[in-house]
Amino acid sequence: MNILVCIKQVPDDSVEVHLNAEGKPDLKNITPVVNAFDTYALEMAARLKESSEGEITVVCMGDASAKNSLKNCLAVGADYAFLINDAAFEDSDTRGITHVLKNAAKKIEADTDKKFDLIFCGKEATDAALGQVGPMLAEELGVGVITNLIDIQLDTDKVTAKQETEEGYRTVESKIPCVVTVSKPEYDPRYPTIKNKMAARKKPIGNITMSDMTNIKAEKVGKENTLVNAIKLYEPPKKEAGVKIQEETDEDSALKAVAMMAEAKVF
Amino acid sequence: MADCKDIMVYVETAEGNPVKVALEMLSPAKELADAKGGKVIAVVIGNNIHDAAQKIAQAGADQVLMIDAPEYEKYNMDVYADVLANLMKEISPEVLFIGGTQDGKDLAPILSSKFEAGCASDVMNIKIDDTGKIVFTCPLYGGTILEDIEITSFPKIAVLRSGAFPKLEDSTTGEIIEKQVSISNDCIHANIVETVKEIAESVNLEEAEVIVSGGRGMGNKDDFKMVEDLSNLLGGVVGATRPAIEEGWISKIHQVGQSGKIVAPKLYIACGISGATQHISGIMNSDYIVAINKDEDAPIFEVANVGIVGDVKKVLPIMIEEIKKIKEAQ
Ligand SMILES: Cc1cc2nc3c(=O)[nH]c(=O)nc-3n(C[C@H](O)[C@H](O)[C@H](O)COP(=O)(O)OP(=O)(O)OC[C@H]3O[C@@H](n4cnc5c(N)ncnc54)[C@H](O)[C@@H]3O)c2cc1C
Ligand SMILES: Nc1ncnc2c1ncn2[C@@H]1O[C@H](COP(=O)(O)O)[C@@H](O)[C@H]1O
Repeated sequence: MNILVCIKQVPDDSVEVHLNAEGKPDLKNITPVVNAFDTYALEMAARLKESSEGEITVVCMGDASAKNSLKNCLAVGADYAFLINDAAFEDSDTRGITHVLKNAAKKIEADTDKKFDLIFCGKEATDAALGQVGPMLAEELGVGVITNLIDIQLDTDKVTAKQETEEGYRTVESKIPCVVTVSKPEYDPRYPTIKNKMAARKKPIGNITMSDMTNIKAEKVGKENTLVNAIKLYEPPKKEAGVKIQEETDEDSALKAVAMMAEAKVF
Repeated sequence: MADCKDIMVYVETAEGNPVKVALEMLSPAKELADAKGGKVIAVVIGNNIHDAAQKIAQAGADQVLMIDAPEYEKYNMDVYADVLANLMKEISPEVLFIGGTQDGKDLAPILSSKFEAGCASDVMNIKIDDTGKIVFTCPLYGGTILEDIEITSFPKIAVLRSGAFPKLEDSTTGEIIEKQVSISNDCIHANIVETVKEIAESVNLEEAEVIVSGGRGMGNKDDFKMVEDLSNLLGGVVGATRPAIEEGWISKIHQVGQSGKIVAPKLYIACGISGATQHISGIMNSDYIVAINKDEDAPIFEVANVGIVGDVKKVLPIMIEEIKKIKEAQ
């Protein structure tokens, strides 16, 4: 089983992002991390590899700082890692990202003379929560896609996946190769052991740039070629705060609140 | 082609009825179509879906294309995407609206790739600016920042957030056109072999008039029951924050917020909830918010009409008793 996992580096999603004085997202003091859903995807891929052997390659399109994220992936189950980085790719939209990821996958396949059987993505990146790249990548590659996985099972020529739904789940089958996108499974991603951390530090991280990819189209990537453009960023309007009740006892506070609610005829 | 002004709306159905967001999408669709001088063309796919088509025709669509055949009885993403792609080629709409359901969120990027169409996700608002440009508002970073975007491609695709647009009030009489679409069998890569419902209850947070929600501050599953008691008493629906769900106190279908349901009740009671932006962004359209939190600096108080600083486990039983008394006296 030859697996590709696509990871995106995003600002730590446990920190609230606000606009700075220049009206840009203030990310200065927020640690960049691997998108949470991508860590779930890598964990699911690692479990699959352990149960049926195979290799995992991770790719990340991003700036040089993403190397650190890739190292972390090498410490928790990935065998190979590539940073896809080129000034020409900066500020690409999802069409551009998908185009680059597809061509990077093709390049790695050609270099290793091995096709990817499965491509894992997160269900969405926590920055803009688009959830577009996984299905778009499948469409570009002409293969199937199953989204929102919470479990996966492998047969010789197909995968059977448990797709999370609002009311429960669906069992979905797809031919291989295919793309899958991962939601939060029942388990948590593993922590790296010290030994694996040390080993990961020594492993090389491959670099892929524009000129390494033969079929890449310059007119699909970069800021000038986006199909979706930001016009304006702003923070949502705040609601006016009302009254805060803090009486001697909780009982008094509760009674006062109920009286106000009754007055306002809200129940 | 690029001067076609029609707005195409994909209408998802569940048990033979249009899903809620499908009806909601008709109002911005109509506004855009009117401004551009085009038509609202709705598309319904399924088997025996005449009733759904009828509802859409009466809810604001100028035309309803009905793709009604046994092979569409069961949802298959590849098949439905192929049908929609064929219709898009034929109609060549300026914009395709898709409702932000789980399946809608999958179909949109597939179609976006097929047509090299820019795609806006989780659209909360749509306006036309002075130059006639369509501007879509989408959340970033869990809704702490909003982004106005434009799509430069033709066609454009927008996935609309459920609950963000009001349904049209006037009933209309659009025409229903039955259509056959031939799809190629080799478009099918994946199949749904089983659908399992683990949650029997129907939870309709989006249309609830009263919602009582509990967060991590409820402490444990037993005490979380107080939230359910108050909700029952008020004839409301129970909501929850993500941590309450992760703790297993209640199922995911009750989640309110950015990655859960966006709600707009008359009364929202937040119990033991801190008020993180990802939660607040889902309750901003509530008419009246009551919050109970022991931390007087909790951000939830910044949006609450009435904030109670206190221990939720002491406050809730008293509120329940007192409201019972008032109700009985009525
Ligand atoms: C991409 C993304 C999407 C997210 N989507 C959602 C979403 O859709 N919905 C959502 O809810 N969250 C979402 N979150 C999580 C969100 O950021 C917060 O972590 C979450 O809303 C906090 O839940 P909480 O208020 O229950 O818990 P906490 O933040 O831990 O707050 C608990 C509160 O309870 C109070 N408390 C404790 N004990 C008592 C007591 N005895 N009496 C009174 N008060 C007490 C505390 O003072 C505290 O304020 C999302 C996060 C991310 C990154
Ligand atoms: N720059 C990137 N590099 C690698 N993978 C990415 C990148 N952007 C998105 N992805 C993958 O696509 C998924 C969905 O991203 P999005 O469509 O932005 O929500 C992510 O969880 C990643 O698996």
